[in-house]
Amino acid sequence: MARDNIFVGLEIGTTKVCVVVAEARHDNTLKILGVGNAPSRGIRKGELVDFETAKRCVHDAIVDAEERSDVEISEVYLGISGGHIRSFNNRGIVLLEEGREEIDEQDLEDVRTNAREVSLPMEDCVLHTIIQHYYVDGQDGVLNPLGLFGKKLEADFHIVYGIRTRIQNAIRCVKELELETADVVINSFATAQAVLDKNYKQQGALVIDIGGGTADFVVYVEGAVKQSGVIAVGGDHITNDLSIGLKIPSARAEKLKIEEGDVTLGNAFPGETIVLRDETGFAGREIERETFNQIIHCRVREIFEIVARQVDADQNLNYLGAGVFITGGSSQLRGIEHLASEVFGLPSRTTAPLPLTGVTSAFEHPQFSTAIGLVRYAHLVHLDRPMARGILSRTMKRLSGIFRT
Amino acid sequence: MVQLNRQYGRAETASETRKIRVIGVGGAGSNILDRALLDGIDHVELTAVNTDVQSLTGSVANQKIQLGRNLTRGLGSGGDPELGLAAAEESCEEIQSAVAGCDIIFVCAGLGGGTGSGAAPFIAKLAKEAGALVLVLVTMPFTFEGRRRCAQAAASLRLIRENSDAVICFENDRMAELALPRMGIHEAFAAADVTISQSIRAIANLLLQPGLIRLGFDDICSVLRDGDARALFGFGEADGENRAHDALVKSLRNPLMHRGEMLANATNVIVQIRGAANVTLGEVGIVMEELNRHVSDRTQLMMGIAIDGSLGSRLSVSIISSLGDSSERPLKTEVYPALQEPARLEPVPPQPAPEPVITLRLEDERPANGATLDPVEHLEPETRAPIATRVPIEAHAPVEARAPKKEAAKEADPGNKPAPKAAPKTIEAKQEVLQFDAVSRGRFEKSEPTIIDGQDLDVPTFLRRRVKVG
Repeated sequence: MARDNIFVGLEIGTTKVCVVVAEARHDNTLKILGVGNAPSRGIRKGELVDFETAKRCVHDAIVDAEERSDVEISEVYLGISGGHIRSFNNRGIVLLEEGREEIDEQDLEDVRTNAREVSLPMEDCVLHTIIQHYYVDGQDGVLNPLGLFGKKLEADFHIVYGIRTRIQNAIRCVKELELETADVVINSFATAQAVLDKNYKQQGALVIDIGGGTADFVVYVEGAVKQSGVIAVGGDHITNDLSIGLKIPSARAEKLKIEEGDVTLGNAFPGETIVLRDETGFAGREIERETFNQIIHCRVREIFEIVARQVDADQNLNYLGAGVFITGGSSQLRGIEHLASEVFGLPSRTTAPLPLTGVTSAFEHPQFSTAIGLVRYAHLVHLDRPMARGILSRTMKRLSGIFRT
Repeated sequence: MVQLNRQYGRAETASETRKIRVIGVGGAGSNILDRALLDGIDHVELTAVNTDVQSLTGSVANQKIQLGRNLTRGLGSGGDPELGLAAAEESCEEIQSAVAGCDIIFVCAGLGGGTGSGAAPFIAKLAKEAGALVLVLVTMPFTFEGRRRCAQAAASLRLIRENSDAVICFENDRMAELALPRMGIHEAFAAADVTISQSIRAIANLLLQPGLIRLGFDDICSVLRDGDARALFGFGEADGENRAHDALVKSLRNPLMHRGEMLANATNVIVQIRGAANVTLGEVGIVMEELNRHVSDRTQLMMGIAIDGSLGSRLSVSIISSLGDSSERPLKTEVYPALQEPARLEPVPPQPAPEPVITLRLEDERPANGATLDPVEHLEPETRAPIATRVPIEAHAPVEARAPKKEAAKEADPGNKPAPKAAPKTIEAKQEVLQFDAVSRGRFEKSEPTIIDGQDLDVPTFLRRRVKVG
């Protein structure tokens, strides 16, 4: 029963597969009907490495979500991540032909096409073309040029692209479960929809979603997406570092990270230890807390530094009035916001998805930011272009006007 | 620490006196020469050899030899290898004078036609007789050129193999992958020539340029010993923060490489990393680690590092190897027992315990610890060949060191053709071994590496930043 007002977001993450089912209500709010979850396997650094295993996990999560929400899922908005995703900004220009002065839909389409016409490597394809700003005859700050008079229409776009085959893998995984992919959204955009409201976007904000396998970030300046990126480093790396540094098994390191994870340095008493209780097969051990924190600190600091370098390269750090928002599973490490403030020199906070109605309380948790962001994205798209659905035109170029708001 | 020694300085001066000549035989051969010259190739003399005067006059080589002045009268050999051979025999003296006094001779030819197929084996033979090390680079005709030409090419290749030290064989069919099908035929051939000229350049650089870790001709021979099947060659150059990774990816993207899949079957692989003095240990580590993922456990990686200031901020990676089963071909070492004698009689004394690898300073530092190598100098006082060191990457790969044998061979058996060979000898390494397996990537060992700003992010940060923990 593919109801028109039901949106499903599917995030195939490195740690978990998450499905959020939400319903759009008449007052233009979203209500979460149910969330399905399954621990994921066969996924590394946000990308499928074992198709069959991953497919089973996605299947489990979908079934879980269907049971909880009592909705039969037929179409999903799919979140995509991975180190291959890249982006850049480009400007498109369209000159109106002689005798016509009013900018129409076709011109908007043309200027977008014009901006996309850059030579990408053969194996890549464009995922998003997001409008940043329009200029009409050089006039700045045009919000919607439709119907305006002018001779020359220019527009800046943020263009996101990735390796076609890798994106297709995820889509195929969904398709083999007999589901439609309504749209492919990169995780960082989805997350931003979940944690940022209109004000934050306008003030300028940096969202970092540190998940299991990747850290996705997106920069909003003056309400428009200015920059985005994926760094294929995440919580798994922290676990791996702990496992190597403390010489403990991976599973143990993962558990320890979740229970005790802390990035603060110099806070532990000298000689303070974490006791590893012995379990079957493991001997009990004591680990110095400072050492433990140090290992996590190094890794998280490095992730922040890489993001800071990339954001700073375009001099965007100065425009982030609302500061830094950290979300995703790994944002639960204690003290992470202080570390972020230190690295970025900006107010930073960890954040969960903005409240929605429905069975939300359990899901107002940073882990679900992306999945909830996907349904918010879907909803925004729906509001923006009520006609676009139905025709099944899931070409993102139509949809991305929403990123202005 | 990689220790440089007095030998290092000597080898450098020796390289200036070493003479390398590239001989392009036939039309295809001179095209390769032209391309090599356009791309820039230093310290190398080029000779074009052809029966066809017209093509010869168009060549940019600094020395030209017309074959069969009386026989073909300046026309081509009309696709007849016998005519090509007869023409070459007629001009035997000119060729002999051209090859005289050279240490290393590259012979480039396109097989299948007349001049290339006929004259190239003969020229290789003359070069060999003149006492040079002979490396032949040939292209095999497209299958669509017909069976006759393919048969001529195969017959010629057999002859060449008998008369040369190493053969690198480029199959045109495979080279065609370089070019898109709709590309002009001219461009397509040019693309093939570029690859061949790149490999000449890479090998010439390998032999000529001073290297921190040098590779010598014997290494190339050992790699191309099984060259009867297919030569694997890859060259990549890159700039920027991830240049090590990018250069390697480019070199593996070469069609002769099949994106590195082919490397899995190779037993010996030479990899040379060239860059200005700013090459870091990390970058070398990245290249070698990634390359290791493409080769099997049995593969011996021979690494060379050369410092070339002219590269600026660029870094280049050349990979040379060959596919072929060594079981079928007897090792040439058995043919030249004399070569092994000197080394066997006076084995190099074991070296003092190597220091742990800490940093690799690529400035031109020359610590005066040549003492470790003095015994080698006594052994072969006149040696001019570069010191070749293998750096086994796999922990269980045998640590071998080979003494330069070219001069020694001449002394030991003047009548014998000098063919430095990879003779597996059980003597101690005479240079420290650079180990890369110290860094651990844990569970990400097998996954695609995440490299940003030249750092392998899969390696724990605290290890990379040398933060002391525990």
